[in-house]
Amino acid sequence: MTTQSAPQGRPVLLAGEGGWHRLHPLSPFVRAGRQFISLAVVLIGISALNQHPARGDIIADLAVLGLALGGGFVSWLVTRWQIADGVLRIDTGLIRRDSRRIPLSQVQAVDVVQSGLARILGLAELQLRVAGAGSARSGRLACLRRADAEELRGKLLALAAASAVAAPAAGPSRTLFRVHAGRLFGAVLLTRSGATALVVVLATALTVQISGSATTVAPFLPVVLGVAGALWRQFNGEYGTTVTSAPDGMRLRSGLIQTTAETIRPGRIQAVRLVEPLIWRRLGWYRLEVDVAGSRERGENESEGRRHRALIPVGSRADAELMLAELMPAHPLPTRPAPSRARRKAPFSYHFLAWSADDRHVVASRGRVCRQTTWVPLQKVQSIRWVQGPLQRQLGLATVHLDAAGKRVGARIQDRDNAEALEILGTLPDLARTARSRAGQPGQPGAGASA
Amino acid sequence: MIDRSEVSWLRPSPLLLRVRRIEVAAVTVPLAIAGWLGGQVVSAATGIGIAAALVLAGLLAERFLARRVAAWGYAERKDDLMVRRGVLVRRLSVIPYGRMQFIDVTAGPLERGLGLATVRMHTAAAASDARIPGLQAAAAAALRDQLAALGEAQAAGL
Repeated sequence: MTTQSAPQGRPVLLAGEGGWHRLHPLSPFVRAGRQFISLAVVLIGISALNQHPARGDIIADLAVLGLALGGGFVSWLVTRWQIADGVLRIDTGLIRRDSRRIPLSQVQAVDVVQSGLARILGLAELQLRVAGAGSARSGRLACLRRADAEELRGKLLALAAASAVAAPAAGPSRTLFRVHAGRLFGAVLLTRSGATALVVVLATALTVQISGSATTVAPFLPVVLGVAGALWRQFNGEYGTTVTSAPDGMRLRSGLIQTTAETIRPGRIQAVRLVEPLIWRRLGWYRLEVDVAGSRERGENESEGRRHRALIPVGSRADAELMLAELMPAHPLPTRPAPSRARRKAPFSYHFLAWSADDRHVVASRGRVCRQTTWVPLQKVQSIRWVQGPLQRQLGLATVHLDAAGKRVGARIQDRDNAEALEILGTLPDLARTARSRAGQPGQPGAGASA
Repeated sequence: MIDRSEVSWLRPSPLLLRVRRIEVAAVTVPLAIAGWLGGQVVSAATGIGIAAALVLAGLLAERFLARRVAAWGYAERKDDLMVRRGVLVRRLSVIPYGRMQFIDVTAGPLERGLGLATVRMHTAAAASDARIPGLQAAAAAALRDQLAALGEAQAAGL
């Protein structure tokens, strides 16, 4: 284990390439941040609700915190990383050594994530997203100094672009979208999870009113905290979302306490989804999400769970159209509705079932109260599946799925006439092949390049 | 337009049905014996009744699996692999060779005993569904090599 001794005052990263680096010594504190928060919640809960504060609980929590810190320190001690020959290598593990090599040409996106604690300490976490892998194959450097993380992100993206086919053309960056904080707050409350939270909180308050004592709701407190926490995470994660178009890809910044900055490289978007929940439609609000190959590392600083990355957490029709035009210069709209007998199979979603396609994209919409319109670039289609359930067979219907890279990513052309479904299945593979070969030619923007 | 008669479907080996039958028997017979012994505690008729019901269920499962095996088929086209399966819910997948990430060839102890193997082609999409069970080991190896070669020739990545 040789650690490079960097000259005083200069960022560690500027030390020669190929050397081994360590993470920041304060990393264990940041990584134990979650335990700090849960300890605080438990302490508050105990002192607020329990007449007999159980000292054992507090001691147990302190022990957990101590273990987390100690474990974090050992993990810091044995972790080191280096960049050499276009490969990022991360070695870690005390008992079970784990050495990861991430070829930078395979990187789908690079994120800089800062939790609240990390922001106070001036640290940031760097996350590399690699296709197809769960957390097992993705890279995570937690934590580095903020400036170092930003610099390393630029360097990694540059190396990734250099090893890909075409280098990105230089050009100015421009802002495409900035979320309105007040509208985001309203939007979070007006979704299904917001409505759930409202019901839960009201029910709790009502119970307190009726029973006249706060202790009766104590068993439900975790539920309330959980629901409120989910809303908070969404608001925190999407607060101040700003999307800029830059030469090396789309840049996304968001976050209130914990901030995230990610860059989505051009041509790495697998699917685009426009979501319109019930009440939002009245208000003319839209949500635009994209799927990028490669899952986000789910660690203690995870802000968004499994949800997809929202380019527009909430925005107007004009915002959504501008972003769609930026992502897909010419995109089809779902114009072909499902045959009317599909109403018998899908009475609650029939009104939204439609699809369409041109020579570059397929679009399909569905949903019961929340309309979801998904665009999949034909060059990104991994496989096409035709599925027919027993009820569909009775009615002469079938569904065609277009799968893109990732879990549950893709469009679903639901409940089409048998003949139409077979025709889709017959023609789409050829269309997709044409789109792929067109994308494979040099000089085409948005080429799938290497992966 | 895909006319199903136009595509020449290849089928899993008939031995696959034997594998499935053995699997069903391996579950049904011990269960029936246990049910019979358990029922004996109440009365002899109960024991026989339980055992008969379990055997009947096993026979029904065997019928169902026979239809499933019969429904399975695959076709190697010029640019893609087609796999169809399912009786109640019918599925037909088209997977371009160029999308292949890797191929699995697996064989359980029972399959191995009868010289069978399962070939599975993976793409970057988790939902892709290209599994072909019950191929003769030699055919499975040949299919694997052929798919690998085609995949390499047409590789399209993500």
